Amino acid sequence: MKQQNNALETQTLNLYYGSTQALIDVDIQIPKNKVTALIGPSGCGKSTLLRCFNRMNDLIPDCSLSGSILYHGEEITGRSTDVVELRKRIGMVFQQPNPFPKSIYENVIYGPKVHGMKDRKELDAIAEKSLKGAAIWEEVKDRLHDAARGLSGGQQQRLCIARTLSVDPDIILMDEPCSALDPIATAKIENLITELKEEYTVVIVTHNMQQAARVSDYTGFMYMGRLIEFDTTSVIFERPKEELTENYITGRFG
Amino acid sequence: MQKNRCESQITDLFTRQNKEKAISGIWLGTALVAVITIILILGFLLKEGLPAILEIGIPAFIFNEIWTPTSETPSYGIYSLIIGTILVTIGAIAIAVPLGIGSAIFIAEVAPPKFREAVKPAIELLAGIPSVVYGFFGLVVLTHWLRISLDLSSGATWLAGSIILGIMALPTIVSVSEDAISSVPKDFRSASLALGATRWQTITGVLIPSALSGITAAIILGLGRAIGETMAVLMVTGNAAIIPDPIYNILSPIRTLTATLGIEMGEVAIGSTHYHALFGMALVLLLITLIVNLSATVILARIREGQIGSSRAPFLSHDHQNQIKSILLLVILAGLCLFSYQVVGIFGIAILTAILALCYGGLRILSRQSKEKIAFAIVTSATALVLFALVAIIFDIVSNGLPAITWEFLTEGPRNLGRSGGIFPAIIGTLYLVIGAIAIALPIGVGAAIYLNEYTLEGRLTRIIRAGNDLLNGTPSIVFGLFGFAFLVIFVGLGVSLLAGQITLTLMILPTIIRTSEEALKSVPDSLRHGSLALGATRWHTILRVVLPAAAPGILTGTILGIGRAAGETAPLLFTAVVFSKRYLPTSVFEPVMALPYHLFILATNVPGADTQKYGTALVLLVLVTGIYAVAILMRRHAQKTVRW
Repeated sequence: MKQQNNALETQTLNLYYGSTQALIDVDIQIPKNKVTALIGPSGCGKSTLLRCFNRMNDLIPDCSLSGSILYHGEEITGRSTDVVELRKRIGMVFQQPNPFPKSIYENVIYGPKVHGMKDRKELDAIAEKSLKGAAIWEEVKDRLHDAARGLSGGQQQRLCIARTLSVDPDIILMDEPCSALDPIATAKIENLITELKEEYTVVIVTHNMQQAARVSDYTGFMYMGRLIEFDTTSVIFERPKEELTENYITGRFG
Repeated sequence: MQKNRCESQITDLFTRQNKEKAISGIWLGTALVAVITIILILGFLLKEGLPAILEIGIPAFIFNEIWTPTSETPSYGIYSLIIGTILVTIGAIAIAVPLGIGSAIFIAEVAPPKFREAVKPAIELLAGIPSVVYGFFGLVVLTHWLRISLDLSSGATWLAGSIILGIMALPTIVSVSEDAISSVPKDFRSASLALGATRWQTITGVLIPSALSGITAAIILGLGRAIGETMAVLMVTGNAAIIPDPIYNILSPIRTLTATLGIEMGEVAIGSTHYHALFGMALVLLLITLIVNLSATVILARIREGQIGSSRAPFLSHDHQNQIKSILLLVILAGLCLFSYQVVGIFGIAILTAILALCYGGLRILSRQSKEKIAFAIVTSATALVLFALVAIIFDIVSNGLPAITWEFLTEGPRNLGRSGGIFPAIIGTLYLVIGAIAIALPIGVGAAIYLNEYTLEGRLTRIIRAGNDLLNGTPSIVFGLFGFAFLVIFVGLGVSLLAGQITLTLMILPTIIRTSEEALKSVPDSLRHGSLALGATRWHTILRVVLPAAAPGILTGTILGIGRAAGETAPLLFTAVVFSKRYLPTSVFEPVMALPYHLFILATNVPGADTQKYGTALVLLVLVTGIYAVAILMRRHAQKTVRW
């Protein structure tokens, strides 16, 4: 029964890039409709773990893994998993805003079109809904057909979030979504993230501990490929059980 | 004493400034060479061509389809030749673009990285095969094969010309489009896949649209090569000055503007109406290439603008774009049907249509994953076909040419019109031509690049110089030949000589050298320059000691590419420098020489029964030119791997 509340779950997940091990025995449960933050020093494996959930690691040659990853209780590491369908359900926002060199409108409807939607009215409706969902509609509604790359960095990142929302995923993975943005744009995205959890499960990788504290309900601390501690954000930041976590939180290393 | 030193410093300062000015002036001079050349070319074409055009009358010249300059009642209408040029080019593009882009997709996105590393340089190498070698293959193999398999009276047809030109354009199109596709940022790929797109959807939905400007540039480069090509089309199209009847009859012989110039310029009486009409024809050819290049520039600018972001509304609304796409598709399909009707007949067309309809119906019901598999199979076979064509050409020439290669063949002069003896004077003649051309082009080209990149800011002057350079770059090689003849041989009075050939080749390879040198100079970071200038070095000293050494590998690569091009060219030399049979080596630059490409051309077209010698000459030329290109490619890879900043 417990599984029903977990959107994602890993069991003794080990991952290797060639002969280097990047993830060691990771067991994590990502709760539904919450924001979960993954923190830890550079190279600790948090982005790698994130990319396991939508199988983006498939794109890296000689990357191999063992253990299991469950999406709503269903195994997704096997060869028979429909990766294309999986990625539709589990969206991803990247570190650098990466809108396609197309218009704003075309960026948002790219996903639905890829999944076979042709009706122009439906596409228009999805575009509006997604852009509203990403809190960027008001800023771009009068210039939907302008090139997306003419937007500011923060706007581009919200457009990318809108693009992710357009295929109606139930989980959104965010890989340091604010690291290329200024503080004001960052604040906008953070507000957006807290709004998103009404409908979506969000997993966010971040370098910025204040950000993790501000936006997340749960936090996992990773170090050297291991998940050291996972708990509610308040526990992690106020009374962590592990010394490593406390040292990292208080800025003694990392 | 103190005062003295002060004075000497000031005089030093004066001379130093003057020296800098003088140096800057020299480089400005070199930079203007390209502009002056293009003005001279236009001037001479106008001077020699315009009177004839006016005498014949523009409508009669352009729109009359009868070209019989040597009959009792001569007629000088070039309409059929213009149509021939356009048709051959369209056919070549129809063959080269789908195959080229398919292969580029395969190499960039589908093939394993190891395949890419092996095949990419090989395809670049093939871009260097001289056009006369392609023409030779077309003449001895392709036209025979077409004649027998399609049961024609002659295989020298529009189809043969388009196939050969298509194959010639392929390496360029593959290589440049592949660069464009693989330089699309990885982010776009990840973003599309993360949305649940298949790899094929990612390729067609994101990668190709993002690489569109590069792919367009590749097609334009290929198009330019096809329109301006002389030797290969001359050898395989049959050269009948007629308009195919019906117009889509792809098995009809055809004649192009370039081929007419190549054939008739050498035999025409200087000063006759025919002679002037040929210059008028060259003018028309130059205008056509100019229009193609200009429209290409405009299209490219539009594509880039649409991607990088301007507040302008899109060129066409979405629905219009889709309409245009469907119309284009229909036109292409109809064209294909008409063309293939000539080859396979009405029954074949029915079968083809049925297969296409089945495929289309199948595509609608297939899953995305199956579509992806089919698409990958198609691009894989496109690559296989391209590699097969190129390997077949090389294999044919190597296997038939090797028996001819003997010590005697390489070290003796030709006897019995090249049927026996060797090609030593041709090898040496080609070397003389190339060395002379590079010796003149290198200082001028590097100087122009230095002026553009180091001595001046972007402004009207640099725009003019660059435009001149681009124009020169787009000028068909046969036009250089005509210009060399009218200007150097006749006007300057050099006669048909080594020197006239060297200068003509110089002008032709100059744009390549300027462009590659400029790129090399641009890639040297400003911090190096600032470091030197901050130590009190003069600008010239900085360039000489810091910038040029750092840019040397890039400049050298450009130079080698120039050498390769000069060694393989035939058309510019036809009327300026070469003779067919000469027992002795030239003793001065004012004597004509033999050259490998020309020797091959004459053996292939005018000397029956010299089969081994033909293949032997083709092999020597092939090895010489691709060898030069191989050095350039290896050097560039080495330089890329060992960048020091």
